[in-house]
Formats: sequence, structure tokens, C-alpha cells
Amino acid sequence: MKQSVLDVHQLNKIYGKKSEKQFHALNSVSFAMAEGEFVGVMGPSGAGKTTLLNVISTLDTATNGSVKIAGTDITAMKQGQLADFRSSQLGFIFQDFNLLENLTVYENIALPLSLQSVAVRNIKPAVESVATKLGIEAILNKYPVTISGGQKQRVAAARALVHEPALILADEPTGALDSKNARSLMETMVHLNENHGTSIMLVTHDPLSASYCERILFIQDGKLYKEIHRNSTRSAFHQDILDVLAQFASPDMD
Amino acid sequence: MLLKLSLTSMRKLAKDYLVLLFGLTISISIFYMFETLAQNKVFLEANSLISSIVFVFHVGTFILGIITVFYIFYATSFLLSLRQRELGMYMTLGAKKRKITQLMFMETFFVGLTALIIGIVLGVGLSYGIAELLMWQLDFQGGGFQPLYSSSLLITVLFYVALFFLTSIVNAWRVGRKSVLSLLRSGQQQDQVKTSGLRTFFGVLLSVILIAVGYYAMVHIAELMQFGIILATATIIPGTYLIFISLLPFLVKRLKQNRNLNETGINSFTLGQLRFRMLNLMMVLGTVAMLIALGLGAMTAGTSFYHNIGIQASMFHANDVVLYEPNETEKQTLATMDVTEEEDYRYKYNDEGVYFLKTDLEAAPPDVMAFEEGSEGFSPTTPEAKLSADEYALYGEEGVTELPGNWWTAVSTELGAGSMFGNRSIFVYGESSYQEVDGEEQHVTLAKLNDFTAYLPELEKLDASQKSLAETYTGNQVEQLGGKYSNYVALKGFASGTIFMGVFLGIAFLMMMASVLMFKLLSSAGADVHRYSMLRKIGVRKTLLVRSIYRELFLLFLFPAIVGIVHVIVGMQMFSFIIIEPYTKIWIPLTLFFVIYGIYYFITVQMYKRIVLPKQF
Ligand SMILES: Nc1ncnc2c1ncn2[C@@H]1O[C@H](COP(=O)(O)OP(=O)(O)OP(=O)(O)O)[C@@H](O)[C@H]1O
Ligand SMILES: [Mg+2]
Repeated sequence: MKQSVLDVHQLNKIYGKKSEKQFHALNSVSFAMAEGEFVGVMGPSGAGKTTLLNVISTLDTATNGSVKIAGTDITAMKQGQLADFRSSQLGFIFQDFNLLENLTVYENIALPLSLQSVAVRNIKPAVESVATKLGIEAILNKYPVTISGGQKQRVAAARALVHEPALILADEPTGALDSKNARSLMETMVHLNENHGTSIMLVTHDPLSASYCERILFIQDGKLYKEIHRNSTRSAFHQDILDVLAQFASPDMD
Repeated sequence: MLLKLSLTSMRKLAKDYLVLLFGLTISISIFYMFETLAQNKVFLEANSLISSIVFVFHVGTFILGIITVFYIFYATSFLLSLRQRELGMYMTLGAKKRKITQLMFMETFFVGLTALIIGIVLGVGLSYGIAELLMWQLDFQGGGFQPLYSSSLLITVLFYVALFFLTSIVNAWRVGRKSVLSLLRSGQQQDQVKTSGLRTFFGVLLSVILIAVGYYAMVHIAELMQFGIILATATIIPGTYLIFISLLPFLVKRLKQNRNLNETGINSFTLGQLRFRMLNLMMVLGTVAMLIALGLGAMTAGTSFYHNIGIQASMFHANDVVLYEPNETEKQTLATMDVTEEEDYRYKYNDEGVYFLKTDLEAAPPDVMAFEEGSEGFSPTTPEAKLSADEYALYGEEGVTELPGNWWTAVSTELGAGSMFGNRSIFVYGESSYQEVDGEEQHVTLAKLNDFTAYLPELEKLDASQKSLAETYTGNQVEQLGGKYSNYVALKGFASGTIFMGVFLGIAFLMMMASVLMFKLLSSAGADVHRYSMLRKIGVRKTLLVRSIYRELFLLFLFPAIVGIVHVIVGMQMFSFIIIEPYTKIWIPLTLFFVIYGIYYFITVQMYKRIVLPKQF
């Protein structure tokens, strides 16, 4: 058994103060993710997927429960430490790209390295190598407004990867892409996962994108509802996912 | 329908509109404030030491007008940036382009008129408040100054209505020209500023030439006169803007090209921020530099005139205090001051004359101000020690030698014997003759102070009591004793109008400078919020973000300050024909400026931080 990169234990998230109306967005969620695994998270809108990702990514704090990333319990860390942890151990890809439009593609990708005080002479090779992996070496000197949505998402992926984080967290990275670009991005992620051993956690609505994962966690109303593994081909897995989603649509059939 | 939609969305953007209104309002009220002086010819001519003051104010109106045009165009383009996205959305929903253009025109004009009304009310209030405060401080009557002045009102209204009409057309035209897509995507685009080396070189060269010509004109203002003022205006303003337009993008580009710098920590972001809104920045920073130059210049000129009074008053008197027959109160008052030299001289007086004892004078000859060959002007000199004759008179009495050169000045000016004793003849007698004089013996104290202007209230008291003493000697009403203090008061009477104008305008311009920078900051902060939140997400520590803000704003504050201060330092040469030493105590307005500017920088950083960095983080 590989070492686990992520360990979520009895995680609860309640929105709203005690005095106000409270909302239980995550309800005793527990699961683990092995190093090098590619895990998908699915569920209906409002199920708590983004909340889960935000807590894992240390952007939001859990009400109780623990989250361990690469052996470190993040729920006990202070703000400053969390920022450092994010910048060194995590990589993010968001639905709305979140590139800095005042920096070139190159500068966007280089930023995590600069922030970690990587020696300047090491930055350029690292950026170029990750850009080559993602096929964006030709647009390094452009500004984000002048590139396509698919390219932006690759840049975001490159920036998430450049500092070789322990875990990549992606929230609907294909949400704003057409199916061709979406497929190409997913193939890139699989490539990274298989050839470079990158651990990825992906939140998505799209069954096709999800079918690239090895394992899918389904959540509903803040609870872990079901978990399926990919056993054979991707298209078979796609079918399995569609079946589970159909149960969400009409729960009585189960 | 569209109008209704746009009204609701204006309500939604209330905060941004407030920022815009604030920026426009301050500009209008300052313009009005300036015009309350500029249009009031009677007041100007009655109260200024500068002969062509009305002309100077005409040029001032012109300069302020140009700066205002730049600023208002920048401010209204902020309105455009606020509304573009929504207007683009209306168009995707089927609104006609003509309608959208109309809407933009109406909105810009409406916001402008609202600002005009508030601005004028505020301007009248500010003129009144600041004028009252200064007049009280300077002890200056300022007859003829009117905070509510109809011709100033008229010119302000005309100027701004025309300006807003123009900017409304430009805004409408810019909306009309853009495609739906670029409207929708607005806010993400980066201003494209070309920075080829050759362009920069010629830009900088031209601006240096322009500024050099302007400086030459200011230094030689005494010969060039009004033409010099026009020449300086026509060269320095475009030169200043040009230097920001050509040099700034180049400088930032250069900094960014330095990989060691750019790829360290958060520098790439800080510099990216600067580069991102370069077009707006160049305009704003040029405007700020001009306003600093005008404001600090007016302030420095005002204070320089003020210090000039002290220098001029010292031109004819080496000693600061003369006390005849000092009584207890006078002695005590003198004791409270920082006295550097103090001498007593005996004299006798009767109905015919006043007789100073020669030996006392010879023992400690009083310093006088004498014109020395080859030197710049008057300087303190000690009269030659010996007086060979036994009897001297101040004015040619029959059979008595007249006092020689500097001794004459010592008795008449330093001791002020003439005005103290009225019609009596004044003599200097040797020991034996002195003994024979039938009269009451008294003594006079002559003192030098470390800092004359530090003791004005005390000196006023001494002057009053000496005046009443003089009245007992002369038996007449005495208007002025003619000592250093009364000279000072008289000179101040002449200069206070000019000082008032300088400080009044200084405050006005610096206020406008503050509002321009503040406006720049607040108008762009909204768009920066998501960038900071994104940096936070990828794990940038707050301390690092704060440092980035400090640095970015520091650069924004630094460039215009440097240019503005250099303008001021050279510009002070313009006054060298009327002020003896224009640079005396220039550190006072400069320090004041740095302190205020520094505080202002700090407040700006804090406000910006509050906008772009959420609290809990
Ligand atoms: N800051 C908040 N305060 C209160 N409630 C919140 C907050 N953020 C999210 N919620 C609630 O928590 C629930 C889970 O939200 P979450 O964003 O995690 O859903 P999601 O699964 O990502 O949905 P989607 O697929 O639509 O993105 C929702 O019902 C939402 O209304
Ligand atoms: Mg979500």
C-alpha cells in the first residue's frame, strides 16, 4: 500500500454562527487518498463539493475533524503557516482560470517559484519544462486576455504543477471549456498523473471528465454517499458514473 | 426602459459613483477657490508685492485649466470603465448602439453636473474657511476678498460645463467605437503602451529640452518678464507630462526585464500592477507632479516672502532691541529672551540735547549694518574704535564735528536716538565735557537676539513701552520708533497679502493633489480585489502582499514628488528679484510637505489594504 497523500477524518463544516441559522455543509466526511492517485468528486449542485475542496485546500477552516496532507495536520495550523503550506504543497486549478491578467503567461507560471525564493537561474528551466509538458511553450510571452479558454486552463495547470506540489486540487477545471478542450485537458492530467506520479483531486459535474479518474467519490447533502472504482475501460467507467448519477436523479429506483 | 435599467445599476454602483463624485467635486471646488483670487483683480492689485500679479493669475488659471482637463478626462474614463460591461450586456440583449451611446453621454454629463453643484458649494465653504484661518494667522485684514465671488462662479461653471460636455462626447464616442466583445471583456485588457528604445530616447530628449528651456525662462524671469512666464508654462507642462509618458513605461519595463529582480518573491506582481494601468498612471502622475510643483511652489513662495520680512528688517539693524531707561518689566522681558550680546551706554539729557558718553561707546562700539565694497549687500560691521575729538554731534551743529561714518549710523540707527528724542540735538561727549552737562543721567541697553522672529509678542510689548517713553521725551504722538521691530511690522504689512495668496493657493493645490492620488487609488482598487484574493489562494503570505502594496504605492508617490520638488527648487529663482534670499528656510515648507505627504502615503496604503485584503485573512 502506497503512503497516503490525503487523510480526511470525520470532517464537519457548519456555516453560520451559533446564534444564526446554521447549515451543515459537510457531515462526518472521511476518506483517504493514496499518493499518485487520481480521485474525482461528484454530486449534485449544493452537495458540498466546493466546500470540501476549500477545507482541504486550507482556504476555509473546518468546524471539526482533521485533514492531513502528506502527513501534516492542516487543521491545527496558523494563517501564515497555512499560506506557506499552500504555496509549497498544493497546486490549484479553478473553474474561472484565476490567472493574473497583469502578468504574462510565463510570469504567471513562475510566480509560485518566485514566492518560494527559488534561485532565479532555476526558474526558467522549470517553467519551460512544465510548459512543454502542457503544450503551451509557444504562448509564454502572451498576456492571459489574448489566449483561449483552453490555453488559460493549461496555464493554470502549469502554474499548479510548476513547484511540484504534493497534491493538485481542481474545481471544475473543464467547466468553462468545450468538449474538445475539456478532453485534451483531462488527457494532460492523466498524463501527469501516470507519468509523473502527481496526485490529483478533481471536482466535476461532467461525467466524461470524471471518467478519466481512477476513483469517484459521490457526495450528497454533505455526506459521502457512494464510491466507485475504475476497473476496466474508460467508456465502461463512464457508463458506471452515468448509472450512479441516474440514481441521484430518481433515488427511489435504488 | 434602458434609462430605468441604468438608474438601478447606478444605484448598485453607488460606492464607485461616490468615489467619482468625490474626485470631481474636489477638483471643481479647488478650481473655484483659485478663481476667487484670480478673478478678483481689485484684491490682487491692492495686496500683492508682485506688479504683474493679475497676469500671473491669468497664467495660473491656464495651467490649472490644463491640469484639470487631464484629470477630468481620466476621472470620466473611470466612469466608462465602470459601465462598459453592463452596456455590453445590454447590447447582447439587443439594445441599439445609438441608444447605448446616448446613455453614456447622458450619464457622464449628469454625473458632471451633480459634481459641479456640490463642488461649487464646497468651494465657497473652503474659500471662506481657509481665508478666515489664514487671515487670522497672518493678522491680515484682506479687504476685498470675497469667498462668494460672482465672476469666479461664472468662470467655474462655464469651464466645467464645457469640459463635461466634451468628456461626455468622448465617453459616448469611445463606447460607440468598441465592439460588444471588448465591452464585455473590459477591465481585463491591459493598456498597450509601446516602449521602443528610440521612442523613449526621443521622448526623454524632448522633455529634457522642454524643461530646460522652461527652467531657463524661470531663472531669467527678471529680463524675460511676462514672456518668461508664458515660455515657462508652455514648456514645463508638456515637458512634465512627456517625461512621465516616455520614461515611466520604459523604467518599469527595464525593471521587469531584470530577471533577478522580477522573479524574486512577489516583485513580478508588484511591477505587473504598475505596468498594467500605465496609460492612466502616466496621466495621473504627470498631474500629481504638476500639482505638487504648484502647491509646494506657492507655499514656499509664501513662506519665503514671510522669512524675507525678517531678512529685510535685519538689513538696516545689527541690533535687535533698544531699551532707553529700561524699567523692571522691560528688564524682565529681556531676560526671558535668548540674548547673545547686551551692552549698556550712559547718556544725559536736558531740554536742549542728549549727550552720550563717548567712553562707553568706545568701550563697546555697537555693530552697524554697512555696505561693503565687493560684497553682496549690507553686513554687520563694528565702527573703528577711536573717536579722536572730544565732542561730536549727530547733525551738523555749529562748531561741533559731525560723527564719522559708521559711528553716525550707530547712534542714529542702532540706538535710534533720532526718533526717541524728537527735536533735541544729539551729541557724543568725552568724559570731561560729559561731566559738565547739566542733566539727568540715564542709560540705554542695546541687545542682539539669537532668533528675532521667535520673540515677536515680547518685542511688541517692549516696542509699546518704548513708544510711550518716546512720547514723554518728545511730548508728541509717536507713530513709529523706526527700530528693527517696527520695520518688521511695516514690512509685514506690505507682504502679508502676498503671503496670504501663496499659502492659500498652496493649500488648495496640495488638496487637489491629494484628491487626485486618492481617486486614482480608489478607482483602481476595486479591480485589484480579485487579484489579491487569487494570490492569497495560491498561498502568498499576508505580510508579503502588504509589502507589495507598500512598494507599489511608494513608487507611485515617489516619482511625482521628485519631479515636483525639482520644479519648485528651480522655480524659486523667479522670486530672486524681489526676495533677498529665496532659499532661506526652504527646509520648512519642504519638511512640512514631506511630513504631510508621508502621512498621506501611509493613510493611502491603509485604505488600499482595507479594500483589497479581506479582514479575516
Ligand atoms: N459561505 C457560506 N455560507 C453559508 N452557506 C454556504 C456558504 N458556502 C456554501 N454554502 C452552502 O453550502 C452548501 C454546499 O455548497 P458548495 O459550494 O460546497 O456546493 P457544491 O457542491 O460545490 O455545488 P456546485 O456544484 O453548485 O458548485 C450549499 O447549500 C451552499 O448554499
Ligand atoms: Mg462548487
